[in-house]
Amino acid sequence: MYRIYGTRYEEGKMGLILEVKNLTKKFGGLTAVNDVNFEVHRGEILGLIGPNGAGKTTLFQLISGFEKPNSGSVRFNGVDITGKKPYQIVNLGMARTFQLVRSFRYLSLLDNISVACLSPRGKEAFGEIGIDAAASSILASVGLVDKARLPPVILPHGDLRKLEIGKALGTNPEFLLLDEPFSGLAHEERVGITKLIEQLTDEGVTIFMTGHVLHELMTLVPRVIAMHQGRLIAEGPPKEVANNRIVLEAYLGRGEEFA
Amino acid sequence: MVKLQFDWESAGNRFEALVNRFVKWAFSFRGGITLVCLGGLLCLPLTGREYLVTIVITAMILAIFAASWDLLAGFAGQTSFGHAAFFGISGYFTAALVKFYGVHWFVAIFIGAGCAVIFSLLIGIPCLRLKGPYLALGTLAFALILYNLFLTGDWLGGTEGISALPNIGDVFVVFYIVAAFMVASLIIMRAIVDSNLGTILKAIRDDEVGADATGINTTVYKLIAFMVSGLFAGIAGALFVLDTTAVNPALFQPLYSFYAIVMASIGGIATIYGSIVGAFLFRLTGELLRPLAAASLLIFATILILIIRFAEEGVMNPVLGHVQDLWDKIRGR
Repeated sequence: MYRIYGTRYEEGKMGLILEVKNLTKKFGGLTAVNDVNFEVHRGEILGLIGPNGAGKTTLFQLISGFEKPNSGSVRFNGVDITGKKPYQIVNLGMARTFQLVRSFRYLSLLDNISVACLSPRGKEAFGEIGIDAAASSILASVGLVDKARLPPVILPHGDLRKLEIGKALGTNPEFLLLDEPFSGLAHEERVGITKLIEQLTDEGVTIFMTGHVLHELMTLVPRVIAMHQGRLIAEGPPKEVANNRIVLEAYLGRGEEFA
Repeated sequence: MVKLQFDWESAGNRFEALVNRFVKWAFSFRGGITLVCLGGLLCLPLTGREYLVTIVITAMILAIFAASWDLLAGFAGQTSFGHAAFFGISGYFTAALVKFYGVHWFVAIFIGAGCAVIFSLLIGIPCLRLKGPYLALGTLAFALILYNLFLTGDWLGGTEGISALPNIGDVFVVFYIVAAFMVASLIIMRAIVDSNLGTILKAIRDDEVGADATGINTTVYKLIAFMVSGLFAGIAGALFVLDTTAVNPALFQPLYSFYAIVMASIGGIATIYGSIVGAFLFRLTGELLRPLAAASLLIFATILILIIRFAEEGVMNPVLGHVQDLWDKIRGR
């Protein structure tokens, strides 16, 4: 088997893969993302936590180009990608998954992945071994190869999550944004996804993922940032952040309110 | 030194593989049915019934037209209600070239279709931001604008249009020319939708945001779909005009756009070949309903509603499925 994704991660080529500066997004009177600053290091897994409505998904939308920020900038690999179209960003090497799973309903799983492999970046990476071979290889790595000919509509939710990651891998990403990869999954399915994510990091893919339930991320992620009402409120190892007073207040409310 | 030698062996192997695939296809159920129908179609002029042949010629032209709509709407998900625009533009250019510049009809068809392609870009670019029903309305508006431009303008004959084009040949010659164009067009369209390009178009149809998120430049691919569809609609328009030897603004009427939709839906959307079934059924029923004049439209509208409600897949695939079951049973006995 050939290694199909990753390996751009080289020792000594550490550094910042993503720099977010003063990012702000307003929807009418609501400031969904408020002056957010953070960095993602090459090769790491960074977690983003926060209660529902904290602005995690909006932040993802801004980074991946689906929404345009009101102010601030996003740099990926040193290139300013603020205001670039989603497909352009994908072809620079940043792929994402969605919180609500998306799939091409009337295409087989194999074709679902093929579409990603047919993107300019995917073609560049997989053109030599052939799109179909690459797509089935990716399907195998996410554990869906025996269902290659089925349409996604009949799959259980857990498989759709895997497909979602497979589609992102088809574009040969070096940076992967996973929006709630665990949501709605049973325990065994969560273990499968965790393994997949670990395997990807081993291959050198940098990962930035969200989750609103803390303990899911705890074991997987060495560093998290926490968000509340559009602002970053804490950063550090998950244990510390989880015990941070401000974070606890964000999740549970202030002590006085319950008194 | 580089050997400039043709690799006969590998070419031979490839040819053999192609032949094997064809033979396998020809003996499969669908392949067999297709070949029998095609053979029957090509033998039709031997009956010598000119009237029937004329009807079938139009049916074949409309099949190309319906298939081009199917490619854009059924595969790329861009529902056009103004397909008559491509049909008419190409028809007008072909007629003008043949009549005023004495261009050979075969060349004129491709120039006319080329104009339709350029025009499909003109329609496609502003309409790309529109989705679903808004796109349908936008394309409808374009076709209506053209209709009124050609109706009220003095150029190219105004209301009268251009008539008395030279005949390509006698009706049987026209039959085989149109048949060749239909077979070639539909095979090419089917090959396109089965190719990688087709996969991308289907992905855009199923989930445009998702396609964007997998690095596909949806704008470019939607424009490609518009252009390919415009090309074949243009070929159909040119053939239509050459067959009727006249062209007038009525070609731009929304009616023709609706014909394309009705035919493609009857045959089965997102099948390409269904358009043939749809066009023949449409044309033959249309001929039977001719005494009803405009009231026949009512019947077609009713059929369309019934199909959308009860047979989303159209008639081709379900009927073929049933026949195949039956065939398997008979053979199993």
